[in-house]
Amino acid sequence: QAPIKWRMQTYAGAALGEHVVKPAVEAFNTIAQGQMEIELFYSDQLVPTAELFQAMQAGTIDCVQSDDDSMASPTEVTVFGGYFPLALRYSLDVPALFNKYGLKQIWEEEYAAVGVKHISAGSWDPCNFSTKKPLNSLKDLEGLRVFTFPTAGRFLTQFGVVPVTLPWEDVEVALQTGELDGLAWSGITEVYTVGWANVTDYFLTNNISGAWIGHFFANMERWNAVPPHLQKLLETCFEQSHYYRQHWYWAGEADLRINGGKLKLTTIPDEEWKTVEDAAVKFWDEIAAESEVKAKVVEVIKKYNDTMVKAGPPYRF
Amino acid sequence: MPQEMIALLMFSTMLVLMITGQRVFGVIGVVAVVAALALWGTGGQAMGFSASMKLMKWYPMLTLPMFVFMGYVMSETRLAEDLYKMFHVWFGPVPGGLAIGTILLMVLISAMNGLSVAGMAIGSTIALPELLRRGYDKRMVTGVIQAGSSLGILIPPSVVLVLYAMIARAPVSQLWLAGVVPGLVMAGVFILYIAIRSWLNPSLAPPLSREERAGYSTADKMRLLGAGVLPLLIFASMMGPFIMGYTSLVEASVIGVAVTVLAALLKGRFTRQVFEVATRETLGISCMFMWIILAALSFGAVFDGLGAVKAIEGLFVDQLHLNPWTILILMQLSFLVMGMFLDDTAMLVIVAPLYVPLVARLDLGLPPDQVLIWYGVLYTITCQIAYLTPPFGYNLFLMRAFAPPEISMADIYRSVGPFVVLMVISLILVMVFPQIALWLPTSLSVK
Amino acid sequence: MPRWSIAFVRFIDRLNYRVGRFAMYLLFVLMAILMWSTVTKAVSTPSLWTLEMAQFVMVAYYILGGPYSMQMGSHVRMDLIYARWDMRRKAWTDAFTVFALIIYLGVMLWGASDSLSYSLGLKWPDGSLLPEIGRLERSPTAWRPHLWPIKMVLFIGFLLMLLQSIAYLIRDIAIIRGKDF
Ligand code: NA
Ligand code: NA
Repeated sequence: QAPIKWRMQTYAGAALGEHVVKPAVEAFNTIAQGQMEIELFYSDQLVPTAELFQAMQAGTIDCVQSDDDSMASPTEVTVFGGYFPLALRYSLDVPALFNKYGLKQIWEEEYAAVGVKHISAGSWDPCNFSTKKPLNSLKDLEGLRVFTFPTAGRFLTQFGVVPVTLPWEDVEVALQTGELDGLAWSGITEVYTVGWANVTDYFLTNNISGAWIGHFFANMERWNAVPPHLQKLLETCFEQSHYYRQHWYWAGEADLRINGGKLKLTTIPDEEWKTVEDAAVKFWDEIAAESEVKAKVVEVIKKYNDTMVKAGPPYRF
Repeated sequence: MPQEMIALLMFSTMLVLMITGQRVFGVIGVVAVVAALALWGTGGQAMGFSASMKLMKWYPMLTLPMFVFMGYVMSETRLAEDLYKMFHVWFGPVPGGLAIGTILLMVLISAMNGLSVAGMAIGSTIALPELLRRGYDKRMVTGVIQAGSSLGILIPPSVVLVLYAMIARAPVSQLWLAGVVPGLVMAGVFILYIAIRSWLNPSLAPPLSREERAGYSTADKMRLLGAGVLPLLIFASMMGPFIMGYTSLVEASVIGVAVTVLAALLKGRFTRQVFEVATRETLGISCMFMWIILAALSFGAVFDGLGAVKAIEGLFVDQLHLNPWTILILMQLSFLVMGMFLDDTAMLVIVAPLYVPLVARLDLGLPPDQVLIWYGVLYTITCQIAYLTPPFGYNLFLMRAFAPPEISMADIYRSVGPFVVLMVISLILVMVFPQIALWLPTSLSVK
Repeated sequence: MPRWSIAFVRFIDRLNYRVGRFAMYLLFVLMAILMWSTVTKAVSTPSLWTLEMAQFVMVAYYILGGPYSMQMGSHVRMDLIYARWDMRRKAWTDAFTVFALIIYLGVMLWGASDSLSYSLGLKWPDGSLLPEIGRLERSPTAWRPHLWPIKMVLFIGFLLMLLQSIAYLIRDIAIIRGKDF
């Protein structure tokens, strides 16, 4: 029997994909012993990220790794993917919310309704600013052209930030051609891995979210055509890749702040940053008012954060 | 079907269809969509369209119509006339001086626009008739104009380097800076050649007569130097704010348009006719480029998705065990051969998805981020050569369109010979000494 | 040649000429947007919409300008052999190879129509001829413009280009039959 062949496209470029997805795909291909093979393509390689969801629905691309937000999935949960402003503190919050607090089920239902299988949700890094000019107060954000996620961008406009969305691979060029003043896209590990540390000078330690939510998806029909043991293997390999990212980012975030050598750290004082945190909670309510599903997710996020705050250290300091 | 077979089939079908003379974009596009329909599997019909949507987000492409428009305004309003007179008067007294002056004129025009069209138009309408009237050898002067104008894509601003930057995902500013020194070196090589040939055989390029020289006073000469201010102004107004980081590349190109149009208005030459021609021709050239890129994006993605890219990479690196320099030289040779038959944009968008990742993987003793900058310059020089090599070359076609009847097609074909050799010499120089390209961007590293 | 075919060719030529002349002036809209972006960046907060709007205008510029530029003969051909042929021989060859354009543009139109229908969230309820409009696709940016207008432009552009190619086919057949018009 001919092997099942899948084309998978990730939102990440090759340099980052080397860490966040390639090992999982290679592991899968090895264990599947020729019964099934995934061919991995990087950011915009086959289709542009904006067309990625549609391509997966049509079966042009079988499998996708992305957050909901940057591929603009036509679901009610899109805004929560990527970085939902200040909703998460640590990367462990993501598996906790999905597995213990019921987000997994909401996601599965939302995607099944548009013909897509939600395989697994994982956590990435926090979202900090890396810029060409230092950010020492909220005033410095005014007029700043920043590459960021759509929803984070919407949130940040109230502080005068001008969000710019470009193909991920073009960001480095855009920073050099002056199209961008900086980015609010990732933690410091990614800034170094991708090469953005070479084209920016400053790193703001305050983050607008402590963890990114990303997923593995597949075209539903293509998923159903895979025999159960390979479905299980797909799930297992993708789940396993979350573990690698947990420690890779966790270690990298601390290490590169201290030993990176390319970026100067700046911090906006806590009292001033509180304005942003308060604005985030208001923003959550705005989003919750948009639909029932969104309200449900916001409620879960609030409940979770409430528990964490009450639990005290090490959950919240 | 084995992946090598797919690669071979797609390429050969495309080449055969090209030879029939159908429009290039359709030929590239049809191979892409038919291959996707036949071989992709589920959703193959959507592949062509989805892949070409990448072009919507390629913002540096916004500069393309700007630079084209600028070039047309410049040549249609004969803005370069005084500039030509300046070189004419200053370099006229030496044998070959007018030809050397023409090369310098081409260098300045190259610094103001991103393609070779403007240089060709200006060179053949202003310089060519003068040179012929002075008894210059017709083959030498047509060669000078074709070769000189090709510097337009190497000396910044350069549309070709913008295209390359988008495909190789390399910074445009670095690439543009990298083109400066090789562009000047190449101009120097041309000048050296003209000087030596004219010295050996002054009848090819006679100096201005004594009477004619007497017609210009020292004051006249100084006044003409002022003509050099305009190109410097246009260049500085575009590149200055861009390099300083005040404007983006795209915005800089619009400033360039504004300054050029303003200069034409001040000289009272921006007529309705100029406006119509520049606007219409800009649409024509931009559409030509864009439709080829649309088709080529589909082609590249289908080719990649069907596994053909990996097959070819594997063949070069893993199976044939070629050393990096052999691979690089083979790539350049294949570019030169393709350049004889293919349009440079088609060449880039089809081959770059294959070659760029391969070059990035080669160990050539350069830091990885500099390899692609350097390769961009090598690629651009091969494009310049492609413009000049028969049977298919833009500058050949343009020359045919612009040249007076006494210059035959055979003359045009023969005129490029020596210059192709000089360009290949420049190419080898930049290959052997990457620092010619890399010195400026590394020492001026814009952050 | 049948009267309708001549009428069709004339109509398509004229339509695409008009659309193309309109698209031609979008160049100045593009310049205005980029100028605005330059100026606002210098004097105040840069606008959110300029880059994306410029991209939309650019797409409209070359997609809608495509057929007119084909009329102007701007689309390059590898004409080393082709250029030497007489008109009839060119027509004969083109009458076959124009199907490269027709097939390519047809498949692109197919993709464009899927994409347009996605951007409008079209659904066909059972027994209904006309679709219902559903969830409108927005660009994944902070500006979040609806995408159906630009996808409509793409759809129309590919359609016009396809019609222009068919017009060329008819004209080539006419030339082969010795009746140029
Ligand atoms: Na140039
Ligand atoms: Na050539």
